[in-house]
Amino acid sequence: MDFPTHFDVIVIGGGHAGCEAALASARIGAKTLLLTHNIETIGQMSCNPAIGGIGKSHLVKEIDALGGAMAAVTDLGGIQFRVLNSRKGPAVRATRAQTDRALYKAAMREVIENQLNLTLFQQAADDLIMDGDQVAGVITNMGVRFNSTSVVLTAGTFLGGVIHVGLNNHEGGRAGDPTSTALARRLRQMPFRVDRLKTGTPPRIDSRSVDFSVMSEQPGDTPVPVMSFLGSTKYHPQQVSCFITHTSEKTHNIIRQGLDRSPMYTGVIEGQGPRYCPSIEDKITRFADKDSHQVFVEPEGLTTNELYPNGISTSLPFDVQLELVRTIKGFEKAHITRPGYAIEYDFFDPRDLHHSLETNCIPGLYFAGQINGTTGYEEAAAQGLLAGTNAALRALDKDQWYPRRDQAYLGVLVDDLITRGTKEPYRMFTSRAEYRLLLREDNADLRLTEIGRTLGLVNDRRWRAFSEKRESIELELQRLKETWVGSESKLGMAVGSVLGKPLSKESTLADLLKRPEMNYSALQSVDENSTAQGQIAEQVEIHLKYAGYIDRQKEEIDRLKRYENIELPDSLDFRQIKGLSNEVKQKLSDSRPQTLGHASRLSGITPAAISILMVYLKKRRNLAG
Amino acid sequence: MTILSADSDTIIAQATPPGRGGVGILRLSGPRSLEFAQAVVRFTKSKSSKVTSTQEMTSDVKPQLKPRFAHFAQFFDKKNDLIDEGIVLYFPGPNSFTGEDVVELQGHGGPVVLDFLIQQFLDLGARIARPGEFSERAFLNDKLDLIQAEAIADLIDSSSTQAARSAVRSLSGEFSNQINQLLESLITLRLYIEAAIDFPEEEIDFLADSKVTKGLDEIVLRITSVLQTANQGALLQEGMRVVIAGRPNAGKSSLLNCLAGENRAIVTALAGTTRDVLREKINIDGMPLHIIDTAGLRTSPDEIEQEGIKRAWQEIELADQILLVVDASGDNIGKNVSMDNVQALWQEMVFSDKIWADKILKKIILIRNKIDLLKESPTEIENTDLTVICLSAKNNKGIDILRNHLKKIMGFKNLGQGQFSARRRHTDAIERALKFVKAGEEQLLNAGAGELLAEDLKQAQNCLSEITGEFTSDDLLGRIFSSFCIGK
Repeated sequence: MDFPTHFDVIVIGGGHAGCEAALASARIGAKTLLLTHNIETIGQMSCNPAIGGIGKSHLVKEIDALGGAMAAVTDLGGIQFRVLNSRKGPAVRATRAQTDRALYKAAMREVIENQLNLTLFQQAADDLIMDGDQVAGVITNMGVRFNSTSVVLTAGTFLGGVIHVGLNNHEGGRAGDPTSTALARRLRQMPFRVDRLKTGTPPRIDSRSVDFSVMSEQPGDTPVPVMSFLGSTKYHPQQVSCFITHTSEKTHNIIRQGLDRSPMYTGVIEGQGPRYCPSIEDKITRFADKDSHQVFVEPEGLTTNELYPNGISTSLPFDVQLELVRTIKGFEKAHITRPGYAIEYDFFDPRDLHHSLETNCIPGLYFAGQINGTTGYEEAAAQGLLAGTNAALRALDKDQWYPRRDQAYLGVLVDDLITRGTKEPYRMFTSRAEYRLLLREDNADLRLTEIGRTLGLVNDRRWRAFSEKRESIELELQRLKETWVGSESKLGMAVGSVLGKPLSKESTLADLLKRPEMNYSALQSVDENSTAQGQIAEQVEIHLKYAGYIDRQKEEIDRLKRYENIELPDSLDFRQIKGLSNEVKQKLSDSRPQTLGHASRLSGITPAAISILMVYLKKRRNLAG
Repeated sequence: MTILSADSDTIIAQATPPGRGGVGILRLSGPRSLEFAQAVVRFTKSKSSKVTSTQEMTSDVKPQLKPRFAHFAQFFDKKNDLIDEGIVLYFPGPNSFTGEDVVELQGHGGPVVLDFLIQQFLDLGARIARPGEFSERAFLNDKLDLIQAEAIADLIDSSSTQAARSAVRSLSGEFSNQINQLLESLITLRLYIEAAIDFPEEEIDFLADSKVTKGLDEIVLRITSVLQTANQGALLQEGMRVVIAGRPNAGKSSLLNCLAGENRAIVTALAGTTRDVLREKINIDGMPLHIIDTAGLRTSPDEIEQEGIKRAWQEIELADQILLVVDASGDNIGKNVSMDNVQALWQEMVFSDKIWADKILKKIILIRNKIDLLKESPTEIENTDLTVICLSAKNNKGIDILRNHLKKIMGFKNLGQGQFSARRRHTDAIERALKFVKAGEEQLLNAGAGELLAEDLKQAQNCLSEITGEFTSDDLLGRIFSSFCIGK
C-alpha cells in the first residue's frame, strides 16, 4: 500500500546518525519520518558507554551549537565527566562523559518523541522508491510504500553485517539486532563503490565478580564539567568512578596460544579494522615488547552490574576470552556476561558523495554515519545532522549547506571523507584539523550557532542565550582594551605584584592579559571591575592570549577561501584542459571536485595544476561572454 | 558566482635570465609592492656608496615614486647598508603588466647581489612567485587576451617542470641527506607531541618530558647547519647544464677538455675510458655553464662501466642541452643529417630498448667530431629540426663555433627558474621553518603551551614540505599508530 502522507524527508535508522538527521530535518520545518526496525533501540549505544573525548567532544559541541540533541542528552545520561588535556591548552581540551546506556537511550527517545514535525514508524526498510534517477521514498519489508522528496540512509553496521566469535560467524547487526540484508542487496545493485570494514568489542563483565580494591580508581573532575552550552550539573544523574587495571605477560601468553583460532589471524575476516582501536590480539602481536596494556574498567550504567573493559576488544573464541580476562588484575574471578566479538560490515566509498552528504548518482539520497566508513557515535551524529539538514533544505527547495574545514570539525570530517576516502573506520582526531587553534570545543557556538539560526536549526531559547553570551564577550573585550593601567596607579601596583615585577609602562588590561604570567582569574583578584564569569571569562582570555596565532590562521584561511568559492561546473571536461599532466587529468576526472578548493586538496594536485585550472575557467568565462 | 581573481600576496621574482648578465631586473607585483619598494629604495644625488648622516636622518621619509617614471636610486638592506644602485620603476595597477601595483628594480645583474636583494623583500613579507605566476595574474586581471591563455597554461606547465628539475638538481646528495635527516627528527618530535595531545589517556605524556626540549635543540642545530651548507653554495650549482653524450670513443672527453681549456678528462684511444661523470664549470663571456662529460653509451658487460652508463642517462634526463657527439668519419653521418637519422642511429646502434623522449630530442645539438679525418672545415649547419656543428676536438678546430652557439642559446633560452632561485626557494623555506621552531620553543618554555608548540612545529614541517613533498595528517597518524600502542 501507499502510505497516505507524503513526507519531505525519510530517515532510515534510529542510531546516532538517524536521530540527529531526523531531529535536524524536523527542526528546519520539513515533514519528517523516522523509520527504524525497532523503536526500543533508538539512541542505543552499541559499543562503549561514553560520549566525547579528543576530537569527538568537538563534534558533540558543534552538534549542540547547531541545535542538535547529543550534548543535552549526554548531560542527562552522563555518570562521570572529565576534561582531557586540561593542561595542554584550550584548543585540545576535550570533555568526555561516561554514560548510562539506559538513561541516554531514554533521554534521546524523549527528545525524538516530542519533536514537532517528526513521525516515528517501526518497520525494516527493504527497498527505495525511484522516480527516474531520483529517490522518491522507501518500501518497508511489509510492502508499505512511504513517499518522500529526500531520503537519509543511516544503516550503521547493519548492511551485510557478519559477527565473528572465534571461527564461528553469523549474520547480524550490532548487539543482538538483525541485519538488513535485503536493503544491502538492493544498494549493492546501485552504482556505489562498496567495501568492507571491521570493528570489535570487548567481553562485558559482571561487576559483582570483580575486585576493585586492587585497581586504581579514576574519579570524575570537580567541578563537574557539562557537555551542552545550555547544560548544567543540575541535569546530571549520580556520578561514579571508573577504574584502571592492566594485562600481564600471562594474559599475552594465553592470547598467543589462541591465535590459531582467531578469525583475524586465520584470514576469515577480510575487512580492515581501525589502527587506533586494535583488538588485544593485535596489540600483543604488533607491540610484542610491551609486557602490559592498560584496561579501563567503565560502568555501563547506574542500574546494571555490567562493566565495559575498554582496551581488550577481541574476537577470540569464548574459552580463550574467559581465560585471558581472568589473568587481569582484579578480574581473577570475573564472570563474562556477553562475549566480545568482531563485526564486519559494508560501507560505501564516501568519495561518491557531495559535501552535503547527498550521493553523487542518486539525487535526493543522503548517506550518514558508519555506512560512510566512519566509526564513533559522535562522528555518526554529526553527519546525521548535516545530512538531515540538507535533505530538508532540498525538500524545501533551499540551497545546500556544509561547513568549511576552517569552520568546524564537521567540515574536516566531511571533507576528509569526500576528498580522500578511507581505508579504515574513520575517527576524528584533533591533528586532522589544520586550524586546530580556531576549532575549539569552547567556541563551537561562536563558530556555528548563528549559521544554525539562519538555517532554521536553532530555537529561540538557544538563540537568546547565545546572543547574550556573545554580547557579554564583546563588551568585556572592549572594556579590557580600553582600560589603561598606569604603572604607579593602585591597580598597576596590584597587577605588578601578581606579575612579580612592577609594570614598566602604562598598558591596557588586554595587553596585560596577553602575558603568560597573567590570567583572568588573577586579574579578578586585583580588579573589582573584571566581573565576567564562566564561559565569558574563558572566551575573553583565550581570545587575547591566542590572538597572534588566531590571526595567522585567519589570514591563511582568507587566502585559501577564494579557491573554495570557485565552482567547477559539472560540464567541465578535465581531459580537454591543455597543460595538465595526464595523471592530474585522470585524478580530477575520477574525483569530479565541486570547487577549486576541493580540487586543491586531492592528493597529487599541484599548485601549478590549480593555476592552469584557474586560467582555463577564466578563459571559458570570457568566451561565454 | 565568485569572480576569478588573483592571489592577494605580493610576489617577487627575477625577471631577467639568471647568470652574470649586464642588468638584473627584479619584479614585484601585488598590493604591497610600493610599500616594500619604499622600504628598500632611497634617492640620493651622490653616487658614493657611503651613507651620509643626513640620509640616515631622513631614512624614515618614504621615497615618492612617480608612476611610470625611471628613477635612479640606491637599494639598501634593513641595516642601512648599500646593496646596489640602479633604476626603479613604479606602475600602479591597473595600468601594469599584471594589472596590480608593480615595481621593477633594475640593478647590476650579479646573482649574489640579486639574491640578497630578493631576500630583503622576502623579509618584508613578499613571497617568491610561482612559475608563470606574473602571466597568470595578468590574465586573471584581464590584461592578456584569450589567445594568450593557451600560452600561459603552457608556460605554467613548462616552467613548473623546469623549476622542479632545477630543484632536484640543486639538491645535491649531501644537501638532500641533511634535509631528510632534519625532516625525520622533526617528524619524530611531532609524533610524540601529537600523540600526547590526541591520546592523553594512553601512558605517553611526553610534553612533560625533557625529550621534547632536547628534540627541539637538535632540530634548531640541524636547521642551522643545513642553512650554512646551502648558503655556502658549495653543494649547489647554477648555470645551464650541458651534457656531452655519445657512443664510446666518439671524442666526448676531448671536447670537454677543449671547452674547459685544460686536460680535465683522461683521453685514450680505448673505448670506455670514461667510467664516471665528470663535471666542469666554465664561463662563456661571464655566463656560467656546466659541462658534464659522461661515459660512452653502449651495452657493456663491465659492471663499473654499466654504472657509469646509468649515471650518464641520469645526467641526460636533467640536462638543459645535450651535445651528442658522433664520429663523422666512422659513423658515416653527413652534413645534411636530420633528427630522424639521429634517432634511427641511436636506436639501432646504442640502445635498442631506450627510446628518446621528445623533450630530450629537442635539447640535442649534434656534434660531428673528427672532421680532420675527412679533411672538412669547421662549420655550423642549421637543418630543419637539428643544429649540426662540425669540429675537431683533437685539433681544437671549431670550438669557438660551439662556444658562440652555446652563448646564443643561453641568451635566448628563457631559463626563468635558475638554480639560484631554486636555491633561494629552499633557503627561504628552511629559514621560515627555523622561525617557527624557535617560536614554538619559546611557547613551550614561557607558557608551557603544548598546543602552540604543536602548531608551530606543524607550520615548520609545512615549510619543509615545499622542498620534500606533502606529509598529510594521515601520514602522521599512521606513524603514531605504528610507533605507539594506542587502543582505548
